[in-house]
Amino acid sequence: MTSMIEPEVVELMERSNKHPSTAEAQLTEAEIEEIEREFSRYEDKASVGLEALRIVQKHRGWISDETLRAVSNFLQIPVAQLESVATYFQLIFRQPVGKEVILLCKSASCWIMGCSRLQQKLQNKLQIAPGQTTADGIFTLLETPCLGDCDKAPVMMVGEEMHRNLTDESIDKIIENKKAHHADQSPD
Amino acid sequence: MPNITIDGEQYEIEDGQNLLNACLSLGINLPYFCWHPAMGSVGACRQCAVIEYKDFEDQRGKLVMGCMTPIKDGGIYSVSADSAREFRGGVIEDLMTNHPHDCPVCEEGGECHLQDMTEMSGHTLRRYRGTKRTHRNQYLGPFINHEMNRCIACYRCTRFYREYAGGSDLAALGRNNQVYFGREQDGMLESGFSGNLVEVCPTGVFTDKTFSEHFVRKWDLQTAPSICEHCAVGCNTAPGAREPGDGEDAILRRVTNLFNHDINGYFLCDRGRFGYDYVNSEARIKNVLATRTLELIETTAGENEKIHGDMAPRDALQQFADTITAARRGRRRLIGIGSPRSSLENNFALRQLVGAEHYYAGLNARDLQLLHLVDRIQRDPRLYSPTTPQIENADAVLVLGEEIEQTAPRIALAVRQAARNRQKQHAQQLKIPLWQDASVRQLDGSPSPILLVGVDTAGLCDIASEHLPCTAEQTAMFAAAIACRLSGDDSGSPDLPEGLLELADNAAQILAGAERPLIISGCGNRDKATLHGAAAIATALGERTESPCALYLACPEVNSLGIAQLFEPGTGDLEQLAQSLESGEDTGMPVSVVILENDLYRRADAETVEQILAADEVILLDSLLNQTARRADLIFPAAATAESQGSYINSNGTAQRFYAVYEGTGFIQESWRWLSDAAGLCGAKAPSLTALASWRHSTDLSAAIACEFSQMASLADLGPDEDYRIDGLKVARQTHRYSGRTAIHAKAHVAEQPPHADPDAPMAFSMEGIQNAGETPLVANIWSPGWNSNQSIHKFQQEVGGPRRHADGTARLLREPQAMPSWRAPTGSAPRSPAELELVPLYCLYGSDELSARAKAIASVIDEPYAVLSEHDASERAIAAGDSVEIELPEAHFLVRARISTDQPRGTLGVPYGLPGLEELAAYLPGRATLSRLARISSTESGGTAQ
Repeated sequence: MTSMIEPEVVELMERSNKHPSTAEAQLTEAEIEEIEREFSRYEDKASVGLEALRIVQKHRGWISDETLRAVSNFLQIPVAQLESVATYFQLIFRQPVGKEVILLCKSASCWIMGCSRLQQKLQNKLQIAPGQTTADGIFTLLETPCLGDCDKAPVMMVGEEMHRNLTDESIDKIIENKKAHHADQSPD
Repeated sequence: MPNITIDGEQYEIEDGQNLLNACLSLGINLPYFCWHPAMGSVGACRQCAVIEYKDFEDQRGKLVMGCMTPIKDGGIYSVSADSAREFRGGVIEDLMTNHPHDCPVCEEGGECHLQDMTEMSGHTLRRYRGTKRTHRNQYLGPFINHEMNRCIACYRCTRFYREYAGGSDLAALGRNNQVYFGREQDGMLESGFSGNLVEVCPTGVFTDKTFSEHFVRKWDLQTAPSICEHCAVGCNTAPGAREPGDGEDAILRRVTNLFNHDINGYFLCDRGRFGYDYVNSEARIKNVLATRTLELIETTAGENEKIHGDMAPRDALQQFADTITAARRGRRRLIGIGSPRSSLENNFALRQLVGAEHYYAGLNARDLQLLHLVDRIQRDPRLYSPTTPQIENADAVLVLGEEIEQTAPRIALAVRQAARNRQKQHAQQLKIPLWQDASVRQLDGSPSPILLVGVDTAGLCDIASEHLPCTAEQTAMFAAAIACRLSGDDSGSPDLPEGLLELADNAAQILAGAERPLIISGCGNRDKATLHGAAAIATALGERTESPCALYLACPEVNSLGIAQLFEPGTGDLEQLAQSLESGEDTGMPVSVVILENDLYRRADAETVEQILAADEVILLDSLLNQTARRADLIFPAAATAESQGSYINSNGTAQRFYAVYEGTGFIQESWRWLSDAAGLCGAKAPSLTALASWRHSTDLSAAIACEFSQMASLADLGPDEDYRIDGLKVARQTHRYSGRTAIHAKAHVAEQPPHADPDAPMAFSMEGIQNAGETPLVANIWSPGWNSNQSIHKFQQEVGGPRRHADGTARLLREPQAMPSWRAPTGSAPRSPAELELVPLYCLYGSDELSARAKAIASVIDEPYAVLSEHDASERAIAAGDSVEIELPEAHFLVRARISTDQPRGTLGVPYGLPGLEELAAYLPGRATLSRLARISSTESGGTAQ
């Protein structure tokens, strides 16, 4: 009889539970400048937390532990408080994501219009489940509640672009386009 | 007062409360999670739903949340309506979908609010068959376990930790069904109040890690009301003890809060909660120890550390008795040294044994004078010592030279609440009830003025409106300047720099403008001028308003103010003793010194200690082996607080009685019993010895003290005495479902042994007797049918959050009112040579207190010896943070690590008071020393060494 938890899983858990890094990343000048621009819009530094995270994420793709501490140091707010903001908002990424983040709408209208089938198609095509990133590091698939375009359901966002009235064909096209785009961009 | 109807019954209740509060006060069981009597309502958990009806015609009513519904006159409510019950059951069902079925292995089981509420809601069958969300737990340090899967997301933990206690490293992370209460990464919780999470959490997410080491269920713990011995606030505690079941003796297993409305309320600090473990430490003295050579009078001055072996108590007592006899017959000098960490009863017994003229306080002159000054100041009719609720109610607070976060943590927690009074005032203007916690906290955040002067690295900085780190001398001058402004007599105002003058003006204005100003100071600076300054401000304020002003003076130890009562000012210090021993040397009469629960090395300079310990015979009564024990000829095992009965007097001048939770192991007994036993064996018959030998109950001593010292007359009425009975029975210390009564000693005896007799208290070390004697102060097992968790405390209160339903077993000292003479700030001190630094004491929550520092969990977080110097002094001496430096005094030197702080005033060196490794430095604080950097940095040498 085997244990409930496979040894590999235990090992994985142990490894991911490694001693947290205490290295501090520095904010770049560009990031600092953008964050400081936000100060005038808020009552105090602490309130800029979310904006600061968005700005830094724009530059770095995601928020690492080191980045989080750098922002917390810069804003002089407790890191736990900033973490609670970062983990509350699903569009602040605390794990690395692909170059293109796909947000597939899973709300009622899209569901009626067959988003579940489209999701299956996307998953098969990209060979990833929601929350995962493709092996080539281009796509991350996330489910999201309503994107506010119910009359054009089903919809999804790729990066900052909205794609409406999705069909199998349009999804193929979007993915191929993006793949081609990133193939051009890649240095080799 | 409004009249309301609940389930057809009419009630008249206090106005301004919410319905949940009213129901609980009326004794109606209504389940809840997120509401807390000290933290108010947020309406998060939806558990306290009731039906509110428009009028008597209304048959349907509407569902409202009890905690969010202000009661109104003529209101009609139903707690038991089916729709309300169904809703509450549904909420529980929802909460329970993710809650694991791990009650049998959960340490909260048996005192779990979630278990109680689940039972109460009637929803006891799980229909959900799906998977549960699971979390990874964090390492939160040596005090707290973390088991997030049990969380029901009531948010009480973060509300307490962040909003009530001001912590910043615990937060609600994530969202939806994945909310996680933890830190950003693994690590020890930083707040000194983290232990309260154990009681605040309604289920088993946060549990006591020190208790885990020797866990038993709540119902298997034997408890009695006790007093925390780790500072002078006097928080009430409910320690729990039980035998391990392998035939060994009982061990103390944990400490929880015991509600006292005027002192600790619902919360304790971590030193108090986790410091108990010293009684189980390896260093515990359980047998009578004697030097290997049993010949008397063989020691000479200069001989160090003796080797001890066990001795039969009877022989040791006989030896002790012979000493007493010799002293009575004039052939020997018998000296007694008392202790501020021992009870009044123990100290009084020693005084009785040796005679008042040979009895000393066990403190150096400076410390004893400070205590007498505190006592003297508190007699001034123009001021009063505030209770904790009064501190919380202050609308302007000035803290003068006392690091209350470290020396009186519970008081610092109260000051933190005082900072919210402006916000609360604002809420009242807007007619928002104060229990509407979330709404009140959203209001204009301008905090009430909290001024910290002469306080280093105070944890209260985040709520301080002004924070001025400065030397003790400047603190006193600053205080004098404020007092002059308040009394309108500017003539005596000291010279202060321009910036400080402005600040003093400002502070005087704030205090004069406040309705309930509060001054806090204490013995922390070990400086009389600081105390005088605080008193001058308070009396000036008292005169202005013609009503007494609140002045809280923190004393260093649990019975500091008590021991001060036993001495006339100016007498009884260790220097006087050393002097008299020195002058008595010529007579050639041998000297015996009896030391009561005191490590002299922490008390006086090396010369004084050496003079005293050079006595021909040193007899020590103590609970832990310490430096002094190494020099003792005879050591008697003394009972710790949880093992004994007695009285302490806290910083407020409040006498409180504590009861034995369990019998000490081995030959451990109360120090006064050893003294009484020795007196009984003594050949010489003197009335004082006969009286001492005749005392059988701790309360006999209390009564004798009350008789001899008029200010302590109230000690005689402190609580039910030994002869008190309810229906002819004592109160049981064990719960009605205490398990293993007949089996727990089976390894040693098959026959059931009778319980230990308790000659001191109207309580039995047994489950037989009165359970839940809620109308007496004797109950520490806070339990009520259906309410197994500590939340059941409301069943023992006059109303929710109000005092307990009986005389609370405390009494203020009855001191003669005596106005303080006017005082002027000292002008300048002796010039300091540039090489010297002024040593100033710093206090540590973990480490400064002698006993708690020996508790395993606390010992693991105590810093290595260090000293803090200003940036300027550091660069002048080319010292960098982390360097090994040596503090050089004429008589001793100490090796420490350098720390550098911008808050450390120039020319001063902050030294942690009493920190392990630096205990012997304590007696030199404040003082002067030179500092040198060691060329060779050694990582192994970190402790202090005396020459």
